[in-house]
Amino acid sequence: MGYLVIAIIVVILFSLGSALIGMVKGGKEGSDKMFKSLRLRISLSVFLFVLLMFSSYMGWIEPNTTMLPTQ
Amino acid sequence: MSEQEYYIPHGTYWPIIGSIGVTTLFVGFANQMHGVEWGGSVMGLGMAIVVFMLFGWLGTVVNESVNGMYNKQVGKSFRWGMSWFIFSEVMFFAAFFGALFYARILSVPWLGGADNNMFSGATEALETSKYIWEGFQATWPLINTPGAIGQSGVEFSSGFALVDTWGLPALNTGLLLTSGVTLTYAHHALRKGHRNSLVFWMIATITLGVAFLGFQIAEYGHAYHEGLKLTSGIYGSTFYLLTGFHGFHVTIGVIMLTVILYRIQKGHFDSDNHFAFEGVAWYWHFVDVVWLGLFIFVYWL
Repeated sequence: MGYLVIAIIVVILFSLGSALIGMVKGGKEGSDKMFKSLRLRISLSVFLFVLLMFSSYMGWIEPNTTMLPTQ
Repeated sequence: MSEQEYYIPHGTYWPIIGSIGVTTLFVGFANQMHGVEWGGSVMGLGMAIVVFMLFGWLGTVVNESVNGMYNKQVGKSFRWGMSWFIFSEVMFFAAFFGALFYARILSVPWLGGADNNMFSGATEALETSKYIWEGFQATWPLINTPGAIGQSGVEFSSGFALVDTWGLPALNTGLLLTSGVTLTYAHHALRKGHRNSLVFWMIATITLGVAFLGFQIAEYGHAYHEGLKLTSGIYGSTFYLLTGFHGFHVTIGVIMLTVILYRIQKGHFDSDNHFAFEGVAWYWHFVDVVWLGLFIFVYWL
C-alpha cells in the first residue's frame, strides 16, 4: 500500500513539473500542456486522498495517531 | 515595440524604496530580538514600506503590461523569472522535508542503537539509554524527549498527545484539494473566455484557502494546548516548521489569488494571454502538493 501511495505521489510530481515546462514554453501549445498537466495532477491528488480515507476506513492502513499516555 | 527591442524602464525609484524597507525591517527585527523597546514598531514600519514597494513596483509592471509596452521577449523573461522562483521554493521545501526524513529514518534510529554505529557497539541492545539518556526509546514521533534544559534555556515539553488524523488535518486536506479543483475550473473558464464562471470559481478558491488557514490556526491552538510545541524535540520542530512555512505560503497564495481576481475584474486577461494567472495557478497547485506530501508523510506513512 505504501509503495502505491509513493508511486502516485511521484506521478503527481511529474505532472506538476510538466505543467511548469508548459508554463515556461508559453503560447497556445504551452498553455494547453500546462492546463492538461494541472488537471491530471489535481485528479490524481483527489484520487489519492479518497484512496487513503477509504483504506483507513477499511482498516488496510493505520494512521500515525497512536495516542500515547501524556505525563 | 518591435520583436527585437527589449523594454527597459527608466528612472524607477522602487529599488531604493525596497532597500530602505528591507533595512528598516531588519534593524527593527534585530533590536526586537535584543529587547529594545522601539524594535517592534520599527519592524512594522519596515514591513509597511516593503508592502508599499511591492504594490507600487508590481503595479507599475502591470500598468506597463496593460499599456502594451511589453513584447514576447519580455514575456519570456517573466516565465523564466517565475520558474527560477519556483526552483528556489522547491529547494526550500526539499530542505525541510529532508530534515524530517533525516531525523525520522536515520538519526533517531541511530540513537536507538540501529545499524553499526557508536551507540550499538556492545551486546546491549540500547546503549544510548545507558550512556546518554536513561530509558531512551527510539520511536517516531519521538514522544519523550529528555527533561533537560535546552540550549535556549527553555525546558522541553514532553509527553504530548498526537493530533487526530481523522479530524482537522483530513478536513484541511479536503479543503485544499477542493480549492485545487475549483482553481482548475477557473483556469478552464479563463481559457474558454467564460468570465462569470471564472470569477465564481476564483472566489470559491480564495474562500477555501481562507477556510484552510482558519482551521490551521485552530489546529495549532489544539496541538499547542496538548503540549506539542516548537521546543518539543525533533517532532515538534519539524512539525511546526513544515506546516508553519506551508501556512505562510498559503497566505501568500491567497493574497496573490485576490490580486488576480482584482485584475480579472479590471479586464487584464484574455483567453490567450494570462501569464500572471498561470504563474499564480501553478504556485497554488504547488502549495497544494506540498500539503498533500505533508499530510501523507506526517500523518500517514
